[in-house]
Amino acid sequence: MLKPRWYKVINDLFGNKTRTLLIVLSMAVGLFAIGIILSARTILSEGLASSFAAIQPSSGTVRTLEPFDEDFLQAVRSMPEVQEADARRNISARVEVAPGEWKNITLFVIADYNDIRVNKVTSESGAWPPPEREILIERAALPVLGSNVGDVVRIKMPSDTQREMRIAGLAYDPAQLPAQFDSTPYGYISFKTLEWLGEPYGFNELQVIATHPEDKVWAQHVVNLVKDRAERSGYTIPLSMTAEPGQLPMDDILQGLLLLMGSLGILSLFLSVFLVINTVSALLAQQKRQIAVMKAIGGGSLQILGMYLVMVISYGILALLIAIPLGTLGARALSQMLATMFNFNLGTMEIPPQTMLTQIVIGLVLPVLASLFPFLVNLRISAAEAMSAYTIGKGRFGRNWIDRLLSGPNLWFTRKLSIRPLLLSIRNTFRSKGRLALTLITLTLASATFVSVFNVRSSLSSTVDDMIEWFNFDIMLTFDRSYRADKIQQEALNVPGITQTDVWIQLPARMVRSDGSESGMMYMFAPRIGDDALIRSPAISEGRWLIPEDDNAVVVPSALLQDEPELGLGKEIVLKIYGKEQSFRIVGTFVGSSFAAMIFADYDYLTQATNRVGEADALLVTTRAHDAASVEAESKALEEHFERMGLRVSMISTLPRERADAEAIFDAIVALLLVMAILLALVGGLGLMGTMSINVLERTREIGVLRAIGAPNRGVAQVFILEGITIGLLSWCMGSLLAIPMTQGLNAALGGATMGTPLTYSYSLPGLWLWLVVVLLLSAVASFIPARNASRLTVREVLAYE
Amino acid sequence: MEYAKVTMMRSGSYSNSYQAETQKSVNLDGRLVDLREVMKTYQGTAGTFTALKGVDLQVESGAFVSIIGKSGSGKSTLINVITGIDRPTSGEVIVDEVRVHALNEEQIAIWRGRSIGVIFQFFQLLPTLTAVENILLAMDYGAEYPAAERPERAMHLLELVGMADRAHRLPNSLSGGQQQCVAIARALANDPVLLTADEPTGNLDSKSAEMVFHLFENLARAGKTILMVTHDNELAARAQRTIRLADGKIVDEFTNR
Repeated sequence: MLKPRWYKVINDLFGNKTRTLLIVLSMAVGLFAIGIILSARTILSEGLASSFAAIQPSSGTVRTLEPFDEDFLQAVRSMPEVQEADARRNISARVEVAPGEWKNITLFVIADYNDIRVNKVTSESGAWPPPEREILIERAALPVLGSNVGDVVRIKMPSDTQREMRIAGLAYDPAQLPAQFDSTPYGYISFKTLEWLGEPYGFNELQVIATHPEDKVWAQHVVNLVKDRAERSGYTIPLSMTAEPGQLPMDDILQGLLLLMGSLGILSLFLSVFLVINTVSALLAQQKRQIAVMKAIGGGSLQILGMYLVMVISYGILALLIAIPLGTLGARALSQMLATMFNFNLGTMEIPPQTMLTQIVIGLVLPVLASLFPFLVNLRISAAEAMSAYTIGKGRFGRNWIDRLLSGPNLWFTRKLSIRPLLLSIRNTFRSKGRLALTLITLTLASATFVSVFNVRSSLSSTVDDMIEWFNFDIMLTFDRSYRADKIQQEALNVPGITQTDVWIQLPARMVRSDGSESGMMYMFAPRIGDDALIRSPAISEGRWLIPEDDNAVVVPSALLQDEPELGLGKEIVLKIYGKEQSFRIVGTFVGSSFAAMIFADYDYLTQATNRVGEADALLVTTRAHDAASVEAESKALEEHFERMGLRVSMISTLPRERADAEAIFDAIVALLLVMAILLALVGGLGLMGTMSINVLERTREIGVLRAIGAPNRGVAQVFILEGITIGLLSWCMGSLLAIPMTQGLNAALGGATMGTPLTYSYSLPGLWLWLVVVLLLSAVASFIPARNASRLTVREVLAYE
Repeated sequence: MEYAKVTMMRSGSYSNSYQAETQKSVNLDGRLVDLREVMKTYQGTAGTFTALKGVDLQVESGAFVSIIGKSGSGKSTLINVITGIDRPTSGEVIVDEVRVHALNEEQIAIWRGRSIGVIFQFFQLLPTLTAVENILLAMDYGAEYPAAERPERAMHLLELVGMADRAHRLPNSLSGGQQQCVAIARALANDPVLLTADEPTGNLDSKSAEMVFHLFENLARAGKTILMVTHDNELAARAQRTIRLADGKIVDEFTNR
């Protein structure tokens, strides 16, 4: 037989279903947010690690200009420093995505698809291995192609041979950058198909696993050894690179995202804590009179405390019953979405026990702790005071500077305005300052996060602007081999709409340290320097950009100076170009990472130093109109023109497309962040709704008075809706300020993870205004339901209240 | 005199948007309040309780009527039925030619704001508005006076109740008597045809009670119709007419002077 006080607990829990629902939902949203973020983070981290381990990732790649055969592969495999090696053919071709519209495609040719030893490619669906004269497409690349399995695509090889091939199935190749990020699809064919396409047999890409793949320095050494071996065997090496140990291509960005998710998880944890404290405080404030009654009839403090703790824990259990399963579903959906976006398979979908434990601790322990303070405050109030009917409403007003600022003589100018209901709302906002503070903290954090997400988007855009600011051209054509610069420039100018041309050469290089060791592959870009050049200075962090008077000057990435301590501004750097060591002087550094570093040198100097005077690897052109459609049309016209002239274009990039591709990566990140921000906004909105509901309950008597002096339904509701909007506006103001440092933190985290440098700071005013609209709607909706309930009360009901 | 001046300040038809809903449909031949066979029954878990049992009551315009009776006799219910705060279970409530019992809650709220001044035992001033703002709020809702005239009228009303020097004070800085004076001024905000007061001096010390009652007397002399519920027989006797209720019925009624 239960003691009567437990019946009170049960009746309080289930008697007022709306209140219980509101409290449970408020708690559940916070717990859901934590669950979804923490679980997704773990699922993704584990999935990434297991996917990576499953493909036998390479330590590095060495590409040759001339094809090599199995004998050379075997020679590399027999090197003691090499744990495993494999080879494939990598061809940059073009694919027709719409009549007359061509896109770059990378074709891989693998000798035995069932015995891939490094960077394994597996079958996703359809045929396996690729049938003769048919092609498999990487699964993430299908949307980029806009085709389906079974469709026929036209492929144009560098030799201009064109063939139609059926897409026979899908391959899964997580070692490649997901196609949507650089808009370049991947295709897989057999050597027989390659022959049919008019290309000779042979590999041009070696992928090796070092004996200690986890050691990047060793791995780089091994890659260099393989490269040296290749060069000794007579192969030209245009590219070699060492992979970051244990990382998939998009690992940096994904790690950045996971870091952000972790930060948002902590943020949502704080929000949940505030929400729980707010909700429990409000519940106890509501129960103040009943606590007093129980005290008056002899209830002991511990007995009463026990009752409320059980009630609070019950709310927590109910909230957990909603939050844990929904959080699990949400985390799985979110993980799947991100895994698809970053093109890797998730291993386990199991929710980590520590996430559930965190939720349970927050859902059960925190409400108990949160209830202790308000409970002790309520306990100190005498029964007589608690039951007094003398006071109207609750919450003190007029006792501090904020109240004084908002009342009396300070607002003399409002007296002739008919805005008393507004004044009433604004001042009511500040009556329960503790509750207001908790609500404001929740909503302000949500506001700051929302605005910061838009700021990050804007910062990413500014960063892209900075990145391409020094590109003063619209289209860049890379050729299959070097051509005479004056010839290709003249041909380009023959195409209507082309206004200016420029060229550069690009070549691989390696830094030679003073101890004789060599760095990984670097890329030297040698644009023409001068006022009419189409390459301007990138963002210089130290020193200066190249000038026409320079000879052996180079500009290097700032991060390279950090990684190579012997380098410095004004110092010499020894670069090995085409097997020959040459000394350059560092005249400036630009903002950039040291991974696959770009080094800029003067075209005239470098072409002379490498006996390539008058040659060009790439053609840069500007077009009369710079909009995306016009630039695309010009690029198509150029490609067709060069094709007719027999000049082999291997790749075409347009600036609008490059920008769109770069922004597409960022948009995916921002979309995810936005989902999180919306979740936080929901938590904030529910917090506000809880606060407003309690305000309505506490001010029921005042509602009666408003009714008695002639306030219509709309008038009563307006008082509470305006109060909610006031809180929303305050949170908007504070959130917009808090967003400044929050954006800096996010920019540093995201930029650091993806580019090694913080993003270019930019504050998004559209985001700020959008959030203003959202917060106004959110506040209005959150206070509308309690306000509507208030307006439905009759005077007799409220004057008889309590 | 000053009281008459304040009650005459009403500009009449500043806003008549509510009139369509509260059409004056009954001719009361000079009577302001007419209750016909009013019954009020409450349904509770403990059973039904009849608070008013077929009450008939007529109040002339300009009368000062006190209502007395023991606790539970139905005094507050009677006054609540007249102000529309409560609805009769049966019977008719006609105030100022308006059939109050036929109006819905929204219509009643608007009508009450413009036609009735309600004064509570516990003053019920809104704590975040100053004295003058409490009066102005009632005027804002009633919209009986142009917005530009409202501050001046509010200050006149505060002068009337002797609270002009405390116009910009918040209620919690006023004594109980002062709060009740402000509450009376608020009740007069829209120059209502009827003032109702439920135990207006019940929560005041004798000096404050006297001050407040004196205000009622002055208003009555200026022609205001006043219905006041009180426990205090002495104060009741100072009204023009007293009605005694017992068990939900008018059991006695007499003119005091």
